[in-house]
Amino acid sequence: MRRRLFKPRPAALSDGLDVGALAPLVDMMTLLLVFLLRSYSTEAAPAPPEGRFELAGTVSEEARKNGAVVVLVSAEAVYIDGRRVIAVAYLPPELLVREVYDRLLLTRDKKRIEVHADRAIPWGVLKRVLHTARAAGFEELSLVAANTSSL
Amino acid sequence: MNRRRFFRAGPDAEADVRPTLLGVVTLMFLLLFFLLTTSSGQRLGVLDLRLGSPSDLAPLPHAGLVKDIAVTLRGPALTVTYTVQSTDIAAASTSVEQRVKELPAREGRPDLAALLAALEEVHDVDPSQERARFDPDDATSAETVIAVMDVIHGPQGSPLFPKIALSGSAG
Repeated sequence: MRRRLFKPRPAALSDGLDVGALAPLVDMMTLLLVFLLRSYSTEAAPAPPEGRFELAGTVSEEARKNGAVVVLVSAEAVYIDGRRVIAVAYLPPELLVREVYDRLLLTRDKKRIEVHADRAIPWGVLKRVLHTARAAGFEELSLVAANTSSL
Repeated sequence: MNRRRFFRAGPDAEADVRPTLLGVVTLMFLLLFFLLTTSSGQRLGVLDLRLGSPSDLAPLPHAGLVKDIAVTLRGPALTVTYTVQSTDIAAASTSVEQRVKELPAREGRPDLAALLAALEEVHDVDPSQERARFDPDDATSAETVIAVMDVIHGPQGSPLFPKIALSGSAG
């Protein structure tokens, strides 16, 4: 004769799901939700279509503003609003980069530029992009980095 | 007179809260799933920039004690240079004194803790000064530039020098 390990009982009589067991579960879920709401962001960071790209870290909590031209400087190339403009290897030694300048003139309806740069990009490269943006008439420039308190 | 009681004293049968709690847990699971699918774990922070240019008009001199502050990064070594008014600031003719703090590299990297201490010292001299200039080396990585800018800016609640101008000189 086989012995049953779990004897079926009516649900109403089940004492397996106690209120005391559910309360910590609710607490844990609340904590998890608060943590996620604090650390997660609904805006996805732009990324280049090819190659590795990793933003530098910052402690700045200032949020991004809408309506900015996104200039992305990866190890391979410079992208403006998602379009590849020039390879980093072909950047001229001068401060003004003609290809970037011409492309930025087409986006003059926007007044703000956000520069997303790979963490390893040297300042010499970044400086040329920023100065070209300024020469194209953009006064509001900002560098975007990954908040160090995020995941 | 027979008074009627609004609340009847007596033991009530304890309500079963388990369905309610299970409902809350289910709702939280759904919310959690929604959050994980629609959001990203990476939050972004923005650093506003000012770029100096030779064609810019010279800014008006700061009225406080510290006239200007410049942080220079050459390789991993930092230098803080600032100009302090050494005589009565209300006088018609005053003299200024330039002070320099050399902050050598620490374990091959810029000593950000020493930079913070130096900048706090300058800020204590003149808390009304908000501007600082930062001149990184061309070979400095974006990561280091942003880390130094974070230190110059100071903590979010009590910033040191929130208006950072990056060097505009070529080469």
